[in-house]
Amino acid sequence: MEQTMKLTLKVWRQKDKNAKGAFESYQADNIDAAMSFLEMLDVVNEKLTKEGIEPIAFDHDCREGICGMCGAVVNGRPHGPRKETTLCQLHMRHFQNNDTITIEPWRAKAFPVIRDLAVDRSAFDRILAKGGYISVKTGCAPDASVMLVSRENSELAMDAAACIGCGACVAGCPNASAMLFVGGKISHLGLLPQGRIEAKKRAVNMVKKMDDEGFGACSNEYECQAVCPKKLSVSNIARMNRDYILGSAD
Amino acid sequence: MELLQQYFQSSIGKKQIVALTGLMLIGFILGHLAGNLLIFKGPEALNAYAHKLASMRPAMYGVELALAGTFLLHICLTVYLFFYNNEARPIAYGYYQPTDRSISTRLMPYTGTLLAAFVIWHLLDFTFSDQTGTLSLVGKESLGLYGVVVNAFKIQWHSGLYILAMCAIGFHLTHGFQSFMQSLGLNHPKYTPVIKIISVFLGLAVAAIFSSIPLYVMFFARIP
Ligand code: HEM
Ligand code: FES
Repeated sequence: MEQTMKLTLKVWRQKDKNAKGAFESYQADNIDAAMSFLEMLDVVNEKLTKEGIEPIAFDHDCREGICGMCGAVVNGRPHGPRKETTLCQLHMRHFQNNDTITIEPWRAKAFPVIRDLAVDRSAFDRILAKGGYISVKTGCAPDASVMLVSRENSELAMDAAACIGCGACVAGCPNASAMLFVGGKISHLGLLPQGRIEAKKRAVNMVKKMDDEGFGACSNEYECQAVCPKKLSVSNIARMNRDYILGSAD
Repeated sequence: MELLQQYFQSSIGKKQIVALTGLMLIGFILGHLAGNLLIFKGPEALNAYAHKLASMRPAMYGVELALAGTFLLHICLTVYLFFYNNEARPIAYGYYQPTDRSISTRLMPYTGTLLAAFVIWHLLDFTFSDQTGTLSLVGKESLGLYGVVVNAFKIQWHSGLYILAMCAIGFHLTHGFQSFMQSLGLNHPKYTPVIKIISVFLGLAVAAIFSSIPLYVMFFARIP
C-alpha cells in the first residue's frame, strides 16, 4: 500500500557566499514514505521550479551512502535523526505526516556556504594535501607474508578508511572541529607499515593546516562520533593526539 | 625550537596543556581533600596540619607559586579555547540538537568559571583569614583555623555556597578525568570504558567528601 505524507520544510536559503541567508517555509505534498530525503527535495524542487522559484541547491552524487557529497543538518542533526545514515540513505518513512522539518547547511567558518545547503568543503582537500598520502613507492602488491600487518591494525585502519569525508563531524561538533576527519586519515595511514614512516611529520603538518583553515579545537564532546555516518571512533582522535606529541618532540 | 613554538600555537598543543594542568589540579585537589578530612579528628589535628604546612616555608612558597601558575595557565588556555571555538562557527544553527553529550561536558566552561570565583572567595575566607581573631573564637577560646572553619560553616548560606562549588568541582572532574586521558592520546578499547566510569565516581566522590565537612559542621558537630 502506498503511503503519502504532507510536510512543512523550513529551509535555509542563501544566494551565495556573501549573501545573508534566511529560513523559508515550503509545503511538501504527496511525499512517498519510501522516498529518500534527497528524492523528497527533488520533488519539492520540481514544484518550486514550476512556480518560478529558484530550486533549493544541495550537494549529492552517488545517492548510495558512499561518496560523501550529500549532507545537511536536518532537525538539528547532521544527516538527520538516524544513526550511521547519510542524508541520501535517510528515508521519509522515518518522519511523521504533518511534520515540520528544519534543513540547514553545515555551519563552520571553514565551510563557507556556496548556495543554500551546498557548502565548500575544499578545506578538507587542502588538509589532505599536507600529508594525507604516503610518499614511498610501494610498487605492486607485495607477497602476502613479506610485510606483516597485525589483524588488529588492519581492522582499525579499515575502520578509519571508511570515512567518506562528508564533513558531518565538523557540522555536529559544537566547536566546528575537524579532528575526527583528520584523526581518521592519520589513523588509516599511520596504522599500516607503509604509512607509519611519515606518521609524525604527517600529524604535525595536517594539524597545522587544520588550524589554519579555521576549524575549532576539540573539547572531547564526542558529538563527531555520534553523528558520523561511517561510525568513526574518537579513538582516532586520541591516536592523532599521540602522533602529534611525538611529532612535536622530534 | 620551531616545532615547540608550533606546538604551543596549535589547537592540540593548547588542549594538551589544559589536560596536563588539569591533571596537576586533580592531584592538588585530592591532597587538599585528604588534609581537610583531619577536621573530623578535631581541632588539634587540623591546626597541627595547618601549622606544619606553614612551618615548611619558604619552600612552601615555591609550591604555592607553582600551583597558582598551574591554575592561571589552565584558566587562560580554557578561556582562550572557549572563544577560539566559538569563532569557528560564526553563524549559529537555527536548530541544533546535540546527541549524547553529558551534562558535565556541556557545563565545563560554566563549572570552571564558578570554580575560579570559588577559589578567590575560598582563599579570602580561610587561607588569608585571621586565624587567631574573633572569627576563630568558639565560646571564649580561639580554636585557630578549626574555629574559623566551624564558624563559617555554621552559617547556612556560607555552607550552601560551598556545597554548590563542590558540585561544580564534581561535574568538572566527571568530564575532566576521562577527557585528559583522551587529550593526551591515552585511549584503549578495553580501558577507556572503565576510565569513563572511574571519572563519574571520582567526580561524585570528590563532591560528596568535600561537602561532608560543612554538612557535618551544620548538623552533627558538637561545638563547645
Ligand atoms: C579545581 C580545579 C580544577 C581542576 C581539577 C580542573 C580539571 C580539569 C580537567 C582534568 C580538564 C580536562 C582537560 C582535557 O579536556 O583534556 C579540565 C578542562 C577544563 N577546565 Fe578545568 N579544572 C579546574 C579548574 C578550572 C577553572 C578554575 C576553570 C575556569 C575557567 C576551568 C575551566 C575548564 C574548561 C573550560 C575546560 C574544558 C576545556 C576544553 O575542553 O577546551 N577549570 N579541567
Ligand atoms: S550522495 Fe553520496 S553519500 Fe550521499
